[in-house]
Order: sequence, then structure tokens, then C-alpha cells
Amino acid sequence: MPRIIEVIVSPKGETKLQTKGYVGNDCLQASKFLEEALGIPLSEGKTAEFYEAAANEQQVRQQ
Amino acid sequence: MSHIVRIQTRVHDPAAINSACQRLGLPVPNHGTARLYSGEATGLLVQFPGWQYPAVIDTLTGTIHFDTFEGRWGDQAQLDKFQQLYAVEKAKLEARKKGFQVSEQSLQDGSIKLNIIEGS
Repeated sequence: MPRIIEVIVSPKGETKLQTKGYVGNDCLQASKFLEEALGIPLSEGKTAEFYEAAANEQQVRQQ
Repeated sequence: MSHIVRIQTRVHDPAAINSACQRLGLPVPNHGTARLYSGEATGLLVQFPGWQYPAVIDTLTGTIHFDTFEGRWGDQAQLDKFQQLYAVEKAKLEARKKGFQVSEQSLQDGSIKLNIIEGS
């Protein structure tokens, strides 16, 4: 899956950034340059995909 | 992995400001001091059509000073559109600096979506 940063800017100029296709904690670093360039972070959350990948990593380590 | 960040836009970059103005068909803003109803403000002056006072962009703080008296002296929607286009143009500038590919798409609710893909 290609690594994508999706940016959606609302009609009022509020911006939402979402990273897709990154492995591990790379997703947190991937969009940092855009977050810092665009303004002040209001909130941050991890998606279900983030936790699924973390759970898979943990399972692999336990085997 | 994936995470989502919501951001309040701060208007710092003159190049992105110019691009946003261009998209709106506005002249490139000049630096100056304007007298608003609430007092003087210094920065990049953007005169929106039909506005009594210019909007003044302080690029150091990234904030915009304006007086519209709740829409009586100017349509807020024009400033909103400017802020939207600023964020779009700024994101595109930064992504291209890093060599990423960018595509832009208008959404039905009036939002603008960018897909930024890392180069191969």
C-alpha cells in the first residue's frame, strides 16, 4: 500500500491530516513537517489501523 | 499505521498567501499599516471585495486582524475561503519541497482534499 498523507481542509480553513500505509510509528513522524508548517495541533488520535498493526507486532514477538 | 491530527491554521508564509490571493483573483498583498475600527494593525493587507476594512495578516504570529461587525462590513465567507486556500497552498508547497507528489480534489461539502504521496 502506498504511503499517503491525506489533508482535508474545510470551507472554514480547519485542517485534518491523516496518514495511511505507514509501518510502525513512522506515521507519527511522516506528517510532522506538515503539522508544524500549517499551524497549531488541536487534537490527535490513532486510528483502529494503528492499534491493529501494534497488536500484530506484539503477536509476532510472542510467537 | 495511521493517525489523525486536527490543526488550527496559522498564516505565516507569504508565498502561500500570494498563491491563495492569486486563486481568489486578488492582488498580491502589500505590507503596511491599516486603520481598522478596533485600532491600527500592521502586516500584509488583503482587501476582500465589498469589505470596508482590509484584513491584516501578521505573519509572525500567524493571526489575521479584521473588523466585519458580524458581517455588516464584510462577508466572513471570503476570509474563510482565503484561509482554506492558504492551508491548501501551504501544504502543497511543503510537500513539493520534500519531493512528494500532490493531487488536489474538491469535495461535495466544499472541503478540499489533498493526497500527498511519498516519491518512489
